[in-house]
Parts: sequence; structure tokens; C-alpha cells
Amino acid sequence: MSNERVTEPEVNANANPLDDFDTKETVSTAPESDNSILDFDDDPLSATSVSKKSLVIFFLIDTSGSMKGKKMGELNTVMEELIPEIRRVGEADTEVKVAVLTFSTEVRWMYSNPIPIEDFEWARLRASGVTSMGAAFKELNHRMSRNSFLNSPSLSFAPVIFLMTDGYPSDDYKEGLRELQTNSWYKFGLKAALGIGQEANDNILAEFTGSKDTVVHAYSGGQLAQMIKIIAVTSSQIGSKSMTLSDDTSHELAEEDVFAAKQKLLGQQIQELVSTQTDGDDVPFDTGW
Amino acid sequence: MIELEIGQEVEMEFGGKAKVLSVIGSGGQGIVYLVRFNGQKWALKWYDINKMSKPAAFRKNLQNNINDGPPSNKFLWPKYLTKEAEDGTFGYIMELKPEGFDSFVDILNTYKLEIDPLTGRGVKRPVKFNTLSAMVTCVINIVNAFRQLHRAGKSYQDLNDGGFFINVNTGAVLVCDCDNIAPDGSNFGIGGKPGYMAPEVVRGIAQPNVQTDKYSLAVVLFKLLFRGDPMEGEKVVRDVCLTESSELKHYGQNAVFVYDPDDDSNRPVRGIHDNIIKFWRIYPDYIKDAFIRSFTTGVSDPTKRIIENEWQKLFIRLRSEIIQCGCGRTNFSSMFIHQNEKTFKCPKCGMEFVTIGFSNRDYRTPLYLGCKFYTCEILPESDDFTAVAGELVENKLKPGVLGIKNCSDRQWKAKMPDGKFYDIAPGKGFPVWQGLEIDFGEVKAQI
Repeated sequence: MSNERVTEPEVNANANPLDDFDTKETVSTAPESDNSILDFDDDPLSATSVSKKSLVIFFLIDTSGSMKGKKMGELNTVMEELIPEIRRVGEADTEVKVAVLTFSTEVRWMYSNPIPIEDFEWARLRASGVTSMGAAFKELNHRMSRNSFLNSPSLSFAPVIFLMTDGYPSDDYKEGLRELQTNSWYKFGLKAALGIGQEANDNILAEFTGSKDTVVHAYSGGQLAQMIKIIAVTSSQIGSKSMTLSDDTSHELAEEDVFAAKQKLLGQQIQELVSTQTDGDDVPFDTGW
Repeated sequence: MIELEIGQEVEMEFGGKAKVLSVIGSGGQGIVYLVRFNGQKWALKWYDINKMSKPAAFRKNLQNNINDGPPSNKFLWPKYLTKEAEDGTFGYIMELKPEGFDSFVDILNTYKLEIDPLTGRGVKRPVKFNTLSAMVTCVINIVNAFRQLHRAGKSYQDLNDGGFFINVNTGAVLVCDCDNIAPDGSNFGIGGKPGYMAPEVVRGIAQPNVQTDKYSLAVVLFKLLFRGDPMEGEKVVRDVCLTESSELKHYGQNAVFVYDPDDDSNRPVRGIHDNIIKFWRIYPDYIKDAFIRSFTTGVSDPTKRIIENEWQKLFIRLRSEIIQCGCGRTNFSSMFIHQNEKTFKCPKCGMEFVTIGFSNRDYRTPLYLGCKFYTCEILPESDDFTAVAGELVENKLKPGVLGIKNCSDRQWKAKMPDGKFYDIAPGKGFPVWQGLEIDFGEVKAQI
């Protein structure tokens, strides 16, 4: 019967309309069941979890020497608190995973693979060395591939990529960024950046995110915590929460109308949220020494 | 948005203050807090009015809904508005989710994540329906709730898996997040949740209304029974990454049901959509046909979508066709051997089940120890699918003798083995035998 046909995934570059998403050669599947007639695996209640779309949140974190002290302490604390808070953002539609890439003199992943957010435990970071941002972009480009970190056999949302830094890159970030910009996952991904303290350069961050709207700046510990929360929560929810509607229903949406719509929405939401944050009387990072 | 602080007090519209105790959760439009008001605990939904296109109209609509009251007790309805703050910010309070209810999301996930407040670690507690009957009753309850809402001339607008609390033991349902409910034809800015929105809303050519609710309802029912996305199959998985344009294509312009009989381009993929593959073969054709209609002709023609009353009839039938075999196997009669016109047989243990035919339906109902029928099945004018009218029980004085007990409040007549009809008062019963005939009044039944 034709409507009983079950398809094996044939994900290959030719079949993929978005062939710029690099693909794995084959997707391994369970062997066909032997279809024994008296197979009583037919309990209507014995369901496994509903199939989910996969979403990886990449945190790119500057751990150079200048982050030492209050900035790193604040960042570690807020990340530790944030992970349990955003555990349920995926609800039943999305499996959210987290990958953390730190860059100082060396570029290093916190864990060797993206970890489901429900099992993720924050390993406290330490700061030292210089700011190899370009190398971080190259490493990210390398791992944002179906053969590497984005290897979910099911459908994926474009990743969330969140960059946090407090200073000027010490290597050729432009070359790294050029490489990254050729990556389709990056192109369709939701990009946001947080500049920490006076030294961080918002223009470089905007080059990374593609627009100024998705760049925010924190000058104090309180702001750092607020901004990290705003960006992480907003970006991880964009794909799975109910959305508001435009008033105009007079013309049908075309592909160009929706292109990068989520990145634009993220920019709007971040700006709205940032503008309603009250300035606490926190001591700025660079005073009181 | 202005988040509320723990301990902060919010003035209510008609006096009194609600004190914020903790955060319950956050959604696309705002945050829900646990509050104390008038000595009782409530949930307070506090809006982020920056995310609303028409906050004043939204508040007015909420006010109207509060005045109208809920269509039935299946809704966790807004109770009181807060006083509008100077900057226009507001919220409303509603009753808390009662004990014993789990969220629909947890049912779809098959577990609930309980977080240890000290370590922050999550512990997974399984969540699943206790019985097949409870699951089908839950479906009937969901359908009935939306029937009541639509009869009140309102649409829910944002129907999705986050909108229900369910009791997995009884199938009882509470519809929550009722704040976007609006008179049919009105919309105060909500679009819906990806995956649940009707194709015409995804395409940007319609706003949510009663017809789009029907599409979203079919998605909710499909997810509950088949545990997967009705539009996500091979065609969608090939895109690898679900970009905005893929979403527009696969859920809007070119949405293809995974079991569209005339288009096999989007079949479920083994290893990803195993639930759908497994459950699709279990359900009887009349259920599958209803979903096929909803997700094929119903995609392009909103008037062809299944109406709630029709769903209700189909699922009341499905519930009556559950067979609980003595060997422990519980399934729909479609998964038992149809031995002959009047008998089903368990393929696992060989036990046979006799059926009874009711005069008001063209299918026969299997009988087994513990099976029940409900008031709506024997009273044509009744919509009551929860009150048990009759149950198959074992005679307490004559072990091994099975009979039907009258659990209703009306007198029936039944033909006994002596060939004569006797009155069966409420609480009384009669044996099941070859020539059994029952007269419920307007409806009759016969073995």
C-alpha cells in the first residue's frame, strides 16, 4: 500500500534543496524490522517522546586575561544560574543543546560535544592570555557542520550563536569571520553579541552579528547578568514560542518577506528589552580599583 | 519589559493587592507569577505590553471575557484584571492549576523534569496516560471544550501544546492560557505557535479565527495520538535546517500530510518519526480518514475541516471500541481479529469478545468485563460523555456470570433468557446472553 510506505532518510547533497548545508554521507538507520506477524509492540500508550527539532546554542566566550576578576566571576555565576532557567524553553518541539567555546591564547570547547540542556553543567571558567577571536571563528566554522556538532539525524533549527567579549581581538578576526561567513549554519543562525566593559568594540561585534540591533553592551556586573539572560532566553525562544502577527494580511508572504525574519525579530526584541532595563547603581567594571 | 519583583504588590482593578510570591513560568507575551490575593493563592499573568500591537484593545477584550465567564468548567479562565499602571502595563489573575494535572507538553515529552532546588539538577519523572480509555476521554474533552468555546462565538487563536493541563488518570482537561480568546473575526495581535498555525496564517493571508482553530485542533489531536508532527516527513527532513523559508514552504505554501494518500513525497522517516509509523497502523480507518481530510483538503479549504461535533462522535466511537483483554492486552477493536460479524478475537491469547449493536449507530460495540457505556450513547439528546450509564460486571452472588448493570437514573427493559422483557431499575442488572435485547427508551440494543 502506497500510504504505508516508510522512507529511509536519504539525506545527501543532491537531494538537499539547500545543498550549501553540508551533509553527512549517510544517516545510519535501524535495520528494517523483521515484520513478524505476531509482533505485539502495538500498545497505543507506549509512545516515545515526540520527535523534536534540534537547536544548538553556541556560547563564544572571551576568557582572555582582561576578563579576570569581577567580569569572569559574574559571568560564571550568571551562566550557572541561567542554564537551569532555560531548561524548559524547548518544550515538546525542540531539543536544546549547549556548546561553549572559550577563546584566549588558546581556543577550547568546554565539552567535546553539544550537551542537552537538561544535562548541562557549567564548568567554571578562568581567564588568562590574549584574545584569539579569529581563531575562535575558524574553530566554530569547523564544528558547525553536519559531520561534527550539528549531526542530529532529525531536523534542526538554525543555531543560536552568542558571542561575549571584553576587548579587542589580538589576532586577525576578519580572516576568521570571512571563513565563518561562508558557513550556511552561520548565515541562517541567530547571532547576538555582548560587549563587556569600556574596551569592547561594538562595531566588531556588529560585524559578527550582521546588525547593530543584536549587539548589546554591559558596563557593570548587574547589567552583564541582565544582558546575558535577555539574549539567551530571547534567542532560544524565538523558534518555539507563539508569535505575534502583522496587521497586514492583504498579500501573501513570499520567501523574501520571511528571509532572516527571526534575526530581525531577535534584534527588535533585544532592543525593546534592553531599553526597559533600569540602570542599577552598580559599580562599573573599571572603577573602584 | 517591567518584571515584577518577589514580594512586590500589584493593585487589582476592584481594590485589594496581589503580592508576588514566585515565578511560575514565562511565555511569548509575558510572565506568570504565583501571587497571594484575598488570602488565596492565584496565578498572575503579567504582560509585556511592548510585545503587543494593541494593548488597550487586548485589555478590553480580556475584560469582556471576564464578564462573559468561561464557556464551561474546562477552562482556567481569567478572573480579575489588575489596575492599569501609568505606563499601561497590566495583567490578570486566574485560578491555579489543580493538583493531579500535568501539562500537555510533559505528556508529549513522556516525562516531567523536576528540578532539585538545592543542586539545580533535573530529575525525570515519567508522565503517561494510565489507561487507553483515559487517553481517548482526554481527546473527547479537548474537542468538547473547543466545541463549547466556538458555540459561544469565540475563537482561541493560539491553540498549541502549551494550552492544556491533563489528568492522566481520568482524561480530565483544563484549557489554560485563555487570554487570547476573542470573538470570532477579531484578533488582538497573536499569530500562533509554529507547527500549530493553519497554513493560511503561516502564509500571511488570514488571521486566527474559528476555522484556523479547527486546523490547530487537528494538529493537537494528531500530536496527542500519533506523537509526531503531521507535516514533518521526508520532504521536510531533507531541508536539514528549518529556516524561515522552509517553514513558510512546509507549513504554509506546500504543506503535505505525512500520510497523504495521493502524495507520498513526505512520508515519515524511520529513526526519526517512529511513533507516527507505529501508531498509524493501529488506529481504525475512520480516525485516519478524519486526519487525512483535515490535513489534505482541509489545508487549502478551511470549510472542509472536521467540525468539533464530528470529532466528538468519532472519538466516542473509538472509546467504545477499546477492548481490554484478560491477557493484559488493551487495544482498539481494529487491532483484534474480526472473527465474524459479531465477534472479535484476541490475536495474542485467542479470547473471544461478543459485541452488542445499538440502534443509533452502524457499528457494533465489543463487550468485556469492566467495559462501560455512557449517557450520550443511549440518550439521543444527551451530550454527557462522562456519566457512566452501564457497565459490564460479574454477578457478585454467581461468580463467572457476566451481566450489564444499569448505572443510569432511568429504568430500562431487558429481555431475559426466558424470552420475556423485565424492568431494570437503576442499580439493577441482567445477564448477557445470546438473545439479549435492551430497551433504553428511544435507543435499543441487541447482542
